[in-house]
Amino acid sequence: MSDLALLDRAFANIIQRFVRTGQAPHYTELAKDLGLSMEEGCELVHELFARNVPGWVHPGTDLIASFAPFNNQPTQYRIAIDGHQKWFAQCGFEALAVRWLFPNKTVRVDAPCLDCGEPMVVEMRNEQILHVEPATIVGYTHSAIGGSREDAPFR
Amino acid sequence: MNLFRSEEHARRWKKFDPDMEKTLRPLSFWAELFSEQLFRQRGRPDYMTWLRSGEGRQSVADLWKKMP
Repeated sequence: MSDLALLDRAFANIIQRFVRTGQAPHYTELAKDLGLSMEEGCELVHELFARNVPGWVHPGTDLIASFAPFNNQPTQYRIAIDGHQKWFAQCGFEALAVRWLFPNKTVRVDAPCLDCGEPMVVEMRNEQILHVEPATIVGYTHSAIGGSREDAPFR
Repeated sequence: MNLFRSEEHARRWKKFDPDMEKTLRPLSFWAELFSEQLFRQRGRPDYMTWLRSGEGRQSVADLWKKMP
């Protein structure tokens, strides 16, 4: 089991890689950045999720698929920062938390409605919700928040 | 954990479950909930340690209190 200081470094490395590039690191990249063996890097990824970091590897692999608030696999929640789209949010709710990783930047969420496919837009900057289109947007989940880890990739 | 154009759209969604109706809330509710310190602090270099601090544990507790 890793110590907290190492978990801190791993968490920060993954989040910062997402912020910079829109993508998760592979465990080999994580290992190299942190001065670990490849095997230790792989174990560290799994340990983060075992310690309830909200995310998961793609089932049956060591590949980071999701790491809240981001998703490595594209979702319908496209995120643009100051007009540049290269991020995806883990879910509609986490899309609203992406702004805290981009202080003083305009964060735009573009997503289709799952019922009708028509577009929705939310723009935020720090504390402010700048624009919501349509103004009637709601959030809803049919599964328990923080529920079973087994079905997390399929909610 | 999805966004819909309106309450009517959410209710029409094929996976809508009346048992989870309590989670059907305006965008402003979810935007506020996902503004808890738990989310704001993710960029800090010692986030895993912070989660286990008094402030981190309180933030998790606050979140669960407000969760529908």
